[in-house]
Amino acid sequence: MTKKQSVLFLAFFILIAASVLPAQTPPAVFEQPLLVTSAGQSSGDAQIALQLTKKASLTATLSKAGTSKDLENQKTLVLVLGASMKGLGSAGLDTNKEKERIRELVAEAKRKAIPILAMHLGGAQRRGELTDEIINEFLPAAKMAIILRSGNQDGLFTKICKSTDIPLVEVDKSLDAVEPLKKIFKK
Amino acid sequence: MTGTETMSLNRFVRAALLFALTVLVCVLSGREFLSMRAADAIYPSPGLTAARALSDYFPALKGTPGDTPVYVYAGPKDGGNVLVIGGAHPNEPAGFVTAVVLAENIRAVRGKVVIVPRANASGFTHSDPQEGSPQRFPIATASGERWFRLGSRVTNPIHQWPDPTIYVTPTGQTLAGIEARNLNRAYPGKAGGNLTEKVAYGIMELIKKERIDLGIDLHESAPEYPVINAIVFHENSADLAATAQMELQAEGFEFRLEASPPNLRGLSHREWGDAAGIRAILMETPNASHGRLKGKPSIGLIIDGKDKFYEKAARLGRLFVPFGPDGIPLRDRVARHLAGLRAILAGLTELDPGKAVEVEDLPTADRVRVEGIGAFLR
Repeated sequence: MTKKQSVLFLAFFILIAASVLPAQTPPAVFEQPLLVTSAGQSSGDAQIALQLTKKASLTATLSKAGTSKDLENQKTLVLVLGASMKGLGSAGLDTNKEKERIRELVAEAKRKAIPILAMHLGGAQRRGELTDEIINEFLPAAKMAIILRSGNQDGLFTKICKSTDIPLVEVDKSLDAVEPLKKIFKK
Repeated sequence: MTGTETMSLNRFVRAALLFALTVLVCVLSGREFLSMRAADAIYPSPGLTAARALSDYFPALKGTPGDTPVYVYAGPKDGGNVLVIGGAHPNEPAGFVTAVVLAENIRAVRGKVVIVPRANASGFTHSDPQEGSPQRFPIATASGERWFRLGSRVTNPIHQWPDPTIYVTPTGQTLAGIEARNLNRAYPGKAGGNLTEKVAYGIMELIKKERIDLGIDLHESAPEYPVINAIVFHENSADLAATAQMELQAEGFEFRLEASPPNLRGLSHREWGDAAGIRAILMETPNASHGRLKGKPSIGLIIDGKDKFYEKAARLGRLFVPFGPDGIPLRDRVARHLAGLRAILAGLTELDPGKAVEVEDLPTADRVRVEGIGAFLR
């Protein structure tokens, strides 16, 4: 490779990196405080989301079965996507009631212009028919999504996010979500 | 001697031989049967600060098959108090063996660790009928093979009989009658209840008297059961469970987080939190030897965790954990429990520094996987 070629290659690499990096670390678009709720009653995943917000020094409240009233004074809604039949039973909800609750919450967030951050932290083992229904219905309402890469092996998140122009941040481990969370929330 | 007399003599000799053979079989099998009542030896580490019995906390258990050793490891620095229970279900060997590994290795530096390796001591004295399970399994150590009992999920019916048609737990849940002998359905126990309820009551008394802050109950579940490779948590421990799970994931251990259902009564992760107000966590590892899809029960299945039927079930997508030709050996299950314990203790320190518990010489999961369990048994 000649010197000229090397310089050209380096310039091309910098150009590519510059165009890719912003997509991986989106700018601060969300505000605090935030309401974390489960979409599908996988309460463990919702709890992980809450702990991640704490590690990112964000002001967050967890309401596993939050309603539109809980959005009072909130500036961001975090929907933790993932269904658990055990969780639904424990919360005294069935699939239809849970979907109806999320629909109302999303509608209220839209009415109040509260942006939605979607998260999927259960990985491959949390995917399944009901979780997929929830992802398909509610992910398009999000302004951004942070997910565990292992939950996107079939590309479902990628497909929906691409078609709806939602920035998608994939992480290998839940703890890796702390840094993106710090970056996408205004101080 | 006439022919009739000779026939009578032959008949007598045959009968006597048959009788002697029957007696021999009864003696040998009886000795084998009764040997199950001898408890496995546990050799506590030099870090042990007090050896007690459950009856020290609830004297009504003294002299009963429900009494069981309690090992206390108190550190020189103030901190929290943690209870670790193994053997609540004696057919789930990783829980029991992990508690033994802890007891034989640790030294507390801050706070206190209380270990009950054989929580349901009666359950270790028998096997589940018609299962054909081995009575014992060996673990090779530097000082030779050590054998451990594989017991039953429930209390020995010789010690608690008969089962009711329907069992109503101390907190009012109705269950099948056999569950009356299941320690992990009997919490918070009853002072005047059946033997299993008395053991549960004794453990609640221990929690009270040792001023326990966090209780950890070590279990195993069948690979076809959805609550597996899991941390089950009382809602008061949700932050701790999530913090531990994230640390474990970062170390390469995938654990499901399962919230303890408030309407499922009698279990440690529910009643320890509700009745005693302590943080409560239960951990499950995958154990093919007590699953329903297994092939022939054997010592190999317990130790190596290999089973062709589970492999097939995994290929058909019927399991909740990966299951390949290498199986899921006891060594890996104990390593997983140890990793979970370490992450939970670290999480407790992070979330509630005043209740921190620090221990030395807690074997790491990596070392157990590489060197084997026996390297950490005396």
